Amino acid sequence: MHSAADYAWLIPVLPLIGALITGLGLISFNRTINRLRKPVAVLLLSCVGAAAVISYAVLFEQLGGAPPVEHLFVWASAGSFSLPMGFVVDPLGSVMLALVTTIAFLVLIYSHGYMAHDKSYVRFFTYLALFSSSMLGLVISPNLLEIYVFWELVGMCSYLLVGFWYDRDGAAHAAQKAFIVNRVGDFGLLLGILGLFWATGSFDFQGIADGLSAAMSNGTVPGWAAIALCLFVFMGPMAKSAQFPLHVWLPDAMEGPTPISALIHAATMVAAGVFLVARLEPLYAQFPSVGLVIAVVGAITCFLGASIALTQMDLKKGLAYSTVSQLGYMMLAMGCGAPVAGMFHLVTHAFFKAMLFLGSGSVIHAMEDVVGHEPVLAQDMRLMGGLRQKMPITAITFLIGCVAISGIPPLAGFWSKDEILGQAFNTYPLLWAVGFLTAGMTAFYMFRLYFLTFEGEFRGNDKTIQAELLATAGKSADDGHGHHAESVHESAWPMTLPLAVLAVPSVLIGLLGTPWNSRFAGLLNPEEAAEMAEHFSWSEFLPLAGASVAISLTGITIAVLAYALHRIDLGELVAARVPTLNAFLANKWYLDAINEKLFVRGSRKLAREVLEVDAKVVDGVVNLTGLLTLGSGEGLKYFETGRVQFYALIVFGGVIAMVVLFGALG
Amino acid sequence: MLEFAVSPPFDPQTVGIPATAIAAGVPWLSLSILFPIVGALIVPFFPDQGEGKQVRWFALGIALITFLITVAAYLNGYDPGVSGLQLSERVSWLPDLGLTWALGADGLSMPLILLTSFITALAVLAAWPVTFKPKLFFFLILAMDGGQIAVFAVQDMLLFFLAWELELIPVYLLLAIWGGKRRQYAATKFIIYTAGSSLFILLAALAMGFFGGGTPNFEYSVLAQKGFGTGFQLLCYSGLLIAFGVKLPIVPLHTWLPDAHGEATAPVHMLLAGILLKMGGYALLRFNAEILPEAHAQFAPLLVVLGVVNIIYAALTSFAQRNLKRKIAYSSISHMGFVLIGIGSFSSLGTSGAMLQMISHGLIGASLFFLVGATYDRTHTLQLDEMGGVGQKMRVMFALWTVCSLASLALPGMSGFVSELMVFAGFATDEAYSLTFRIVIAGLAAVGVILTPIYLLSMLREIFFGKENSELVSHTNLVDAEPREVYVIGCLLVPIIGIGLYPRLMTDSYSSSIEALVNRDVVAMERITQPTAPLIRSSPIVSTLIQAPSIPQA
Repeated sequence: MHSAADYAWLIPVLPLIGALITGLGLISFNRTINRLRKPVAVLLLSCVGAAAVISYAVLFEQLGGAPPVEHLFVWASAGSFSLPMGFVVDPLGSVMLALVTTIAFLVLIYSHGYMAHDKSYVRFFTYLALFSSSMLGLVISPNLLEIYVFWELVGMCSYLLVGFWYDRDGAAHAAQKAFIVNRVGDFGLLLGILGLFWATGSFDFQGIADGLSAAMSNGTVPGWAAIALCLFVFMGPMAKSAQFPLHVWLPDAMEGPTPISALIHAATMVAAGVFLVARLEPLYAQFPSVGLVIAVVGAITCFLGASIALTQMDLKKGLAYSTVSQLGYMMLAMGCGAPVAGMFHLVTHAFFKAMLFLGSGSVIHAMEDVVGHEPVLAQDMRLMGGLRQKMPITAITFLIGCVAISGIPPLAGFWSKDEILGQAFNTYPLLWAVGFLTAGMTAFYMFRLYFLTFEGEFRGNDKTIQAELLATAGKSADDGHGHHAESVHESAWPMTLPLAVLAVPSVLIGLLGTPWNSRFAGLLNPEEAAEMAEHFSWSEFLPLAGASVAISLTGITIAVLAYALHRIDLGELVAARVPTLNAFLANKWYLDAINEKLFVRGSRKLAREVLEVDAKVVDGVVNLTGLLTLGSGEGLKYFETGRVQFYALIVFGGVIAMVVLFGALG
Repeated sequence: MLEFAVSPPFDPQTVGIPATAIAAGVPWLSLSILFPIVGALIVPFFPDQGEGKQVRWFALGIALITFLITVAAYLNGYDPGVSGLQLSERVSWLPDLGLTWALGADGLSMPLILLTSFITALAVLAAWPVTFKPKLFFFLILAMDGGQIAVFAVQDMLLFFLAWELELIPVYLLLAIWGGKRRQYAATKFIIYTAGSSLFILLAALAMGFFGGGTPNFEYSVLAQKGFGTGFQLLCYSGLLIAFGVKLPIVPLHTWLPDAHGEATAPVHMLLAGILLKMGGYALLRFNAEILPEAHAQFAPLLVVLGVVNIIYAALTSFAQRNLKRKIAYSSISHMGFVLIGIGSFSSLGTSGAMLQMISHGLIGASLFFLVGATYDRTHTLQLDEMGGVGQKMRVMFALWTVCSLASLALPGMSGFVSELMVFAGFATDEAYSLTFRIVIAGLAAVGVILTPIYLLSMLREIFFGKENSELVSHTNLVDAEPREVYVIGCLLVPIIGIGLYPRLMTDSYSSSIEALVNRDVVAMERITQPTAPLIRSSPIVSTLIQAPSIPQA
């Protein structure tokens, strides 16, 4: 008797096959395949759909209490070393499988509408299927190394998709930035994985945790080294899940098509970091200090994202910073030793944030009819307003998303966010305060987005604002085609249907995680769920929950007063009085500027200097060096006593000295 | 004609030749060396109308048959599970000089022989547009094919030296006649560097061959059995290191490479990057690590340090380069750094990774250089500043470039990732070095993981992304990739991705040889333990652990 979990390997393989067929077709018969839009869409939809069906079968099996399933084979071996690969299906994985396939399926449908006028429709679908495949592979990976493999592959898909419109300079820049910032995180992840393998001889999650505690107890691995390794591994999730200070790539990644922002940069890929931390829970649970670092990073990110989102005028960027902030909440939960709460927020956030992004896509798509395809215009809220009458479905679903993310019961965001805040309150009260404050800011900026976009007067035809925006962005106004419509209209059904579908879980899914009877915790960690239900008391729950709701309502009220009723003018009240604060937020805490100065220019300068050394010194002196090494080769006879490493150090030091010298001179 | 009687091993000390090789009786290796050379000799007499339209088919046929011969040799006469020499052939050539036509293949040479014939066949296909003196061109390419297989297949050091030198002449001519604007300079630099450094090979070969008196004998198996003193070993080792360090290349002996690679045409380029650099790595494994193990034990830390310098230094210079060809050339140097670290790692995993890195870079480097050539054919410039937005017109080319660049930056699922990972894991987990040394080296080498995408992706961005460069478009015809080009890249990508998905396809073919080699080095290191300071080598307590897998001395 085979269970569905035995066929779980098909889940990533099916989209991969679809992507391969269309991808190879694109390379070999570019023109023909590009014309076959419908067949390609149907093929890839059925691949992802089939994967979704298997995922749900797996999920229900796990809900029914089936044991975890693991299948492995030897992938590489050398000497005594052998490396198994394979797949594992457990409750955590099955939840992610269902989540990823659902959202991927809906986003594919949505893309059929959103990308309808794009020349590269087929290429877009191929990339989407490729991404789904890599992401699903990541979810069912049984060990760290396989995670790393898929980790890089989702990063690659993100690179390809952010740079999808490669004729735009912004997209080219953002794609490169996304990949390289993620590589910085992967640098730590790789070193961490290697170090853990050295310390424990294992890549397996449980094996690493057990091996490390054993190695520490018998003294082969010092405590500081173990903590350092854990932190190195954490660098990977920091980059992937956009945690401070490696979050800088995510807002820029909004240059990609909006369905991508929804799928990759809000719901699934960016959650991979949180997922990995949850996977490594047996490891991190041993080190409270590592937990504290994670929690602090999460809290900083959470606050940073929300604070920058307050002043964003670009609809998608606003949502992007909101994502950064929400990922911070998840990381905060992980650091507080509450992975179930973090995962729960991951799931609820995936639904409502995907919906919000798809909603923003619907708005942008509509705006493009009026202001053209220039993203500086189409995404700016100063040109929107009053869209509710024209686009009712988009507006209603967007409003549901805003309420959900603001944490108003009984919508999804309330339950998950409140659980995190409750855990933080019990573990690190100071960090709770940060999260609490952020909750108010979240409610404010989300409703600000809503009011600016959907209420008031439509400002899209205001040529002076358009000209101003273009001037600020440093672009010329002549986009040539002036056949724009005068007003917007609701998007077609492929775009509104996913919005409506996503609204359902955004409202209801939180009820699966009520603290007194958490089905979600019951699946991931039955003991914890039982404990939660047992210790639950209304007198503890109500004050905290009440406080959260109260601060959210405060945020909403300010937004209503400022942007719906225009009773208070925040520009005059705050921005004019504290211009430094406003500038600080508008410039995104100056982090991009620091990066640009320190790392981008610094590395370019260093590279130029090294090249200079290479061209002038090494090439010039190399003949002399040849003679010298000849001499030292003669002298090496006397080096038997083993001062070779001294020689090596001289070579290394010499190169560095030359670089420094030329840096100082040049 | 010589008669290729396969004589039974007369030297009891040599490793036993498997009975199958003798029974089969086909001199596969001689065939694979001489067939392309004979083919090359026919080229001048081949009827051709002058544009090379006929002769290129002939050359392609010869190269393909050579590839098939090497594949047949692998399938019929080669057992991957055996660590010793296989497919052996011995004919006494000049007995007075001790020169023997001794051929054979083990795990170190067989994969590279296959790589050589494979890349050469694709290079012939890449040379399709060559119209200037096509006969001479294909003659040289085919002669090089035979010469390079000989470098990997010969089992006699004097013969090795001859093959090494003979292979220089075609490269020199190919550079000097078909190269770019500064081809004379580049070719001269190349020949001075390589020929000059190969003097050390001759010196070391003579010294080692005459060592101990008696009739000189240059066969590897005999040399390996001679009990060289440590001082003698160090001397030979340092000489050979210079010779092979130029070829690999090792910073600071690399400066010929950007010039040579920068001026070569695409097919020559593919051969230079795909095969010639691997001769350096192969020779380091074959001579320095296998025949001079005691010296290797002393020198290995230096190799590791130089490897890291290669990785970082060349990655930075590549980033600053504005010339596309030179950029990729420097990236080759950077990738060779992993080979050095792997060779110096004293772990079978790391050394295996070095071997895989050579194969992998042979494929990836060849594909990138082929693409550079194909792009140059369209843009007529190699300056990145003069390109931009090329992706609008050349979509398939853009896709191929992206895939090959991702392969080069070690994306998982492709061979480069596996080999770099093996080197990392092998070096980091082996107890031969002290913990601090390992941490520093692994950390610095991992910086390469960040630098590689920086220069490769910024290169892609400057060529393909953004608005079309109007000046470029105005005077060039940017046609998209033609089927031949897609086919060449496809052929290279199949093994790249195949190895990436299931590395044992390749590693199983040489792992037993590498293990034997590493055991030999580890035993040698044990013999001379204690001399090195604890800064780099780990304490003796740990090193007793690695004594366990020592091979029984026959």
